[in-house]
Amino acid sequence: MIISNYMKDEHRECDNLFANAEEAVSLGEWEVAEEKFIAFSNETLTHFKREEDELFPAFEEQTGSSQGPTMVMRYEHEQVKGLIGKMASVIEIKDEDAYLSLAESMMILLQQHNMKEEQMLYAMCDRSLPQEMKEATLASMKAVEL
Amino acid sequence: MFKQNGLSLEQAPPIIVVFRLFFMASIFGIISGFEILYYQNSIFNSNSIGALTLTHTLTLGVMLSFMLGALFQMLPVVAGVVLDFPIKRSLSIQIPFLIGVVSLLFAFNLNHKYLYITSSIFLGFSLFIAIFMMLYRLLKIPNHTPSSRGIIIALISLFVTILLAIYLTKTLSGYGDGLLYQEIKNIHIHFGLFGWIGLLIFSIAFQVIEMFYVTPAYPKAIGKYFAYFIFFLLIATVFYPILNNLLYILFISFAILTLYRLSQKKRRLSDATILFWRMGLISSILSMVLLITYSLQPIIEILNIAYISFISFGLSIVFAMLYKIIPFLTWFHLNAQGYFKAPMMHEVIHPKTAKKHFWIHLSTVISLIISIFIPILIFISGILVIVSFGWIAYQIIHAHILYKKIEDSGEKFEFS
Repeated sequence: MIISNYMKDEHRECDNLFANAEEAVSLGEWEVAEEKFIAFSNETLTHFKREEDELFPAFEEQTGSSQGPTMVMRYEHEQVKGLIGKMASVIEIKDEDAYLSLAESMMILLQQHNMKEEQMLYAMCDRSLPQEMKEATLASMKAVEL
Repeated sequence: MFKQNGLSLEQAPPIIVVFRLFFMASIFGIISGFEILYYQNSIFNSNSIGALTLTHTLTLGVMLSFMLGALFQMLPVVAGVVLDFPIKRSLSIQIPFLIGVVSLLFAFNLNHKYLYITSSIFLGFSLFIAIFMMLYRLLKIPNHTPSSRGIIIALISLFVTILLAIYLTKTLSGYGDGLLYQEIKNIHIHFGLFGWIGLLIFSIAFQVIEMFYVTPAYPKAIGKYFAYFIFFLLIATVFYPILNNLLYILFISFAILTLYRLSQKKRRLSDATILFWRMGLISSILSMVLLITYSLQPIIEILNIAYISFISFGLSIVFAMLYKIIPFLTWFHLNAQGYFKAPMMHEVIHPKTAKKHFWIHLSTVISLIISIFIPILIFISGILVIVSFGWIAYQIIHAHILYKKIEDSGEKFEFS
């Protein structure tokens, strides 16, 4: 379960960063909020890049399918990226209510997405990829930078 | 009715399927307020027609409709189960279900055997189909989570509850000797309250507490064995009623653990949904403590407060879920279709609106408890129940109108 464990930890890290940014917004500390939000979006986008550049191709190569689960996950990544853009723009104009509202959508969207990955896709990767390939994929994922 | 692609692009069922069930539940809620005004304090006598009618309006008409709507929304996420042709198919469940509930409520009051038969056929048909469809898909999941495990056991408990209900309505309609009527009735209540409502809520808690509020996860062993242990106890208590108190203690422990998890949440904001969750969990603790007390000191008022607290447990958490699901679905569907003006969640239902409802709901529960001792207050309780469900019905209509308005505007991105 090396893929599942590593990726789940990354999800939890994103959640923590997200909560930090939200707290700063609710306290009206906009500079801190901006800094925390950037940390959240960087972590999330790096995580997506790890999946899209390394994990998904490995899974697709092994299973011979690029139209299945990985296509759905890529589509959902686009939805999340869209929301990150909107949240960044409301931080610019310091609109607390709009930020908290978007944050609520983001949280549910992201968690639904994470749940699908953790319960299905990562488990499928851990099951279908040979041990060597898993280790190599994990190493190359760790090397990915935004 | 369902299809499972593992992971589907259809992340949520059509909004109308969920909203229609939620709206029907709220209308039954408003009806329950009128029932309180009509039957008044006789509802506190558990053998009265008023108590029977009100209980089934709340458990079947309100809770079951809300929970089916919530399950349709959650199954794609929890289990990758997506509704196939859901609009027509969901109506083929909802309409017989509605006919079944209404005929059952009339059957209690008119004591007419054909009404009992009608309700058994329609409720049995609609609910068995819904249960089997969901169970069939859920059982095929390769990796079970505490949530999916719990939902499976909750659905099996619902199946047992309905099966036993058919024995009861058969007896009431004059068929069958009804020798085991009282025993079956007790098991029916037990599986309905603890196996279906209680376990379903706890299964949802496993998923949403950590997810919505960013809390530490529940201990793994609890997630793995809790649902099985509850189910085992439900069966064991049929033969050894003394074990009931163990079941109550288990519910108390889980509620305390969940309250503790909520206190550890990393999202610092305290919105109405947190208040609803806390109220629900505290109500469940109160209810269980009173049931234990009642087993030692059988005073009817204690039992009545225990029942009101149990209803508060169920409804508070249902409301907590609704204030997340309704705005999210409205935003999500419009946003996913590319509408420029997809409203943000706070534009659909503002947190302040939800908070006002929380206070109405809290007042309703307190006033119901006080009216056990001050009978005249029952009228205020009835009115508060109508206001509370009217409030949520309005939110559903408002969200739907907003949705249609944006959809009709047609201003959206065109995906190539």
